[in-house]
Amino acid sequence: MMLTKKQNLMETIKGGNPDRFVNQYEFMDIILEVPVRLMCAPGTEMKNDWGITFRWPEGQLGQFPVHDEEHKVLKDITEWRKYVKAPVIDNTDEAWAAAVAHANSIDRNEQFVTAFVAPGVFEMCHHLMSMEDALMALYEEPEAMHELIDYLTDAELNYAKILIDRLHPDALFHHDDWGSQKSSFISPAMFEEFYLPAYKKIYGFYKANGVKLIVHHSDSYAANLVPYMIEMGIDIWQGVMTTNNTPELIKKYGGQISFMGDIDSGVVDFPEWTPEIVDREVERACKNCGKLYFIPNLTQGLNFSSFPGVYDSATEAIDKMSKEMF
Amino acid sequence: MTKITEVKAKVEAGKAKLVPGLVQEALDEGSAAGDILQAMIDSMGVVGEKFSAGEVFVPEMLMAAKAMSKGVDVLKPLLTGTSTSSLGTCVIGTVQGDLHDIGKNLVAMMIESAGFKVVDLGVDVSAEKFVNAVKEQENVTIVACSGLLTTTLPAMKEAVQTLKTSGLTGFKVIVGGAPVSQEMADEIGADGFAPDAGSAAVKAKELASA
Repeated sequence: MMLTKKQNLMETIKGGNPDRFVNQYEFMDIILEVPVRLMCAPGTEMKNDWGITFRWPEGQLGQFPVHDEEHKVLKDITEWRKYVKAPVIDNTDEAWAAAVAHANSIDRNEQFVTAFVAPGVFEMCHHLMSMEDALMALYEEPEAMHELIDYLTDAELNYAKILIDRLHPDALFHHDDWGSQKSSFISPAMFEEFYLPAYKKIYGFYKANGVKLIVHHSDSYAANLVPYMIEMGIDIWQGVMTTNNTPELIKKYGGQISFMGDIDSGVVDFPEWTPEIVDREVERACKNCGKLYFIPNLTQGLNFSSFPGVYDSATEAIDKMSKEMF
Repeated sequence: MTKITEVKAKVEAGKAKLVPGLVQEALDEGSAAGDILQAMIDSMGVVGEKFSAGEVFVPEMLMAAKAMSKGVDVLKPLLTGTSTSSLGTCVIGTVQGDLHDIGKNLVAMMIESAGFKVVDLGVDVSAEKFVNAVKEQENVTIVACSGLLTTTLPAMKEAVQTLKTSGLTGFKVIVGGAPVSQEMADEIGADGFAPDAGSAAVKAKELASA
């Protein structure tokens, strides 16, 4: 008998005997029907609950925070208390009805009921004040940055309490991009000082409240941060790009953390995509990374592709590789 | 340590508060403004190399650039008319359809620190806008096109080819960004490619001095 999606995932990340590749996001049923505004629609603009303005221009692949003087929320880090106000989360039964209904409809033996959080603490800092300001403030106003990060962490914990209370999630899928394609945005030492403590608190809280699986999204280079990922309790790093040398990471850290990705979205997911390109990339990823501590997946941070058909094509290609390799 | 070497060290270390005072002291010691500027350009070159090598990260580069810019503020009244802009003007922008600006801003900063005058056209810049900037700005020696998305590579190609066939001369085109490679740069007819902000400044300098 075939393992369930959940069992197969556990075998894969515990170094046991999976009977096939975990196929992309199949093990998570992600609950997005929460009363928090996450995204604006293509071609529109929105102000989120923190006052951050996002624009998704027509024809673009995603939304961008707007940081001209008029729209920047946090204009002076030393006065963050004046500018940054955590929103009050609507915690009524009515507001959570759709999310709860979704959670209740999931077979918890088959899949992980997965809570979704984005953006994380690092992204929140640069969404509030722009990347340049957020990075320079780590040097220029470290105390104020520590205070701001603590405040953002508390806000995340407040939301976590509600998520746990309402959905009793088995897994958390949490976004926070920590790097570019080639390097982490900040040095490991700075990451350890500023962001590791925040995430130890956040992920520790979920783990202490019934969440068995922490999946963190960062579609970037972040190989130099993996020891901190392990320390903060991440079970699966989703979005690992090929620039990280995923097979080497698996060799080095497999058993402590697993890696999900190694199929760079930019390489397969574009208007002129073909199933042949997808097959080639999936085969390379599966053969190089192997059966344990690895989940073949597009690096994109949710279970779809920007161009129709690419995600499903990858799913098919992974099934093919399962038949060939298992 | 002479004051000028101290300036160099503090720019490299990103000490924006200390650099202006040290620049003044170096001037008082008798160093020429042009030499102090060159020392700072050299230290930014070192920072760029360290960034390329993965030894320093974006915050360190931002802080070094800020330190240099504070130092340049002290020198500015003394530098008018000297040869600091001999490298000419660099027009830079993220190509049409792409709104990513972090990488582009870093490149602009490093190119400026290398001694160019930089005209930043921002994001979502059409081929036509690049061409117009070359016409309008004085002594454009470099046009730098940035793009992060695979999907905007056709727009990058269009920008490069429109610039190349515009009939305008005297400038070289460099390209960069996550999906761009040397191979792709060659294919679309760009004069240069650089994999990161540190080497972009080196490449720009090399092309502008050629």
